[in-house]
Amino acid sequence: MLLVLSAEHRAHLGCLPRAGGAAVGELGRLALEQLRRGAAPRACESAARKLNISVDIIQHGVEGLAYLLTESSKLMISEVDFQDSINVLGFSDELNKSLLQLYLDNRKEIRSILGELAPRLPSYHSLEWRLDVQLASRSLRQQIKPAVTMKLHLNQNEDQTAQVLQTDPATLLHLIQQLEQALGEMKMNHCRRIVRNMK
Amino acid sequence: MELSPYAQGGWRLLGDPRRFPRRPFAALLRAAFRSLLDDPQAALDDPDLKDIDPTVLKHCHAAAAMCILEAGKQKADISAISTCLEDCKLDKERIEQFCTEYQKMTFSFSIELVTVVSSSIGRSPLHITDVSWRLEYQIKNNQLHKTYQPSYLVTLNVENSDSGSHPDVSFSCTMEQLQDLVGKLKDAAKSLERATQM
Repeated sequence: MLLVLSAEHRAHLGCLPRAGGAAVGELGRLALEQLRRGAAPRACESAARKLNISVDIIQHGVEGLAYLLTESSKLMISEVDFQDSINVLGFSDELNKSLLQLYLDNRKEIRSILGELAPRLPSYHSLEWRLDVQLASRSLRQQIKPAVTMKLHLNQNEDQTAQVLQTDPATLLHLIQQLEQALGEMKMNHCRRIVRNMK
Repeated sequence: MELSPYAQGGWRLLGDPRRFPRRPFAALLRAAFRSLLDDPQAALDDPDLKDIDPTVLKHCHAAAAMCILEAGKQKADISAISTCLEDCKLDKERIEQFCTEYQKMTFSFSIELVTVVSSSIGRSPLHITDVSWRLEYQIKNNQLHKTYQPSYLVTLNVENSDSGSHPDVSFSCTMEQLQDLVGKLKDAAKSLERATQM
């Protein structure tokens, strides 16, 4: 599928040929840094001085490139589609090649950055467990009550939470049985068929 | 076996034939046993008890229940219970009535029932009662298309010993993470098995 670039995007990217070959490499690097760490006006200013181009052109170029790389990575467009999409900009072959290389080299990393923006539920991190036997309590002496105490570590939006839970032996075996069934589902024909056909 | 001053006060009232004639005494004992074993709302509405002052009734009911629980907790025998009730100035006949009821309970319901009640009193961490899971295959989201990844959503149903219910603990995980979790649970089960064989 082709990438559709709005007039504004095309205008931003239109600065690239004026910047020159070496500049494109530098702008690419700045665009990636922006995706990794956010906007860095100082870096743009120093690049502008180094390359002897105005700051505005640098900034537009960086934004245009960032958008181009993000959209292409998000949609995971093929090489051919990428080349066709940027052809409309009317750049030189050399520039097209550099852009394509920039895309292919960094696609994986950009996708993993975008993956972190997706809505997420608390996710499993790890589990610690401990075997306990309750021998007595304030209300009852001389007991033998086995229990498994667990600490479930979860990640939620970069915070780690730990929850202390307890269960008895019978429930533990039930949990294991149920979760093993869950794991087995991925190996069933139904799931395999869907995974195969959805690529 | 010892009772608190509050409980002893209740038993002293129970031992007084002017406050508690025969039939009300027997009715109160029945109510105390039933409220611990079958039915927490039981029978302070027995007609034999209608002439007793409600505050006195509550005090004595509490005293009787505390005595039953304390006897169960300490696994006290009849002589220990008798001694304790003698200290509260209960006459022989009433002590015997209580002990007979207590023995009936331990033989017919088996003392296990009282220990189940007692063992459910007290604090403990959230208790897992059940688990449900959901397997899904992610295709795309608004930030990233063509993600194509299976993921599990696991929900642990938990109960709080204090308030009974608690929001469930839910989390998502990949297949590898679920395998890690199941592996750890199996380790726990294996060590439990080894411990019981020792």
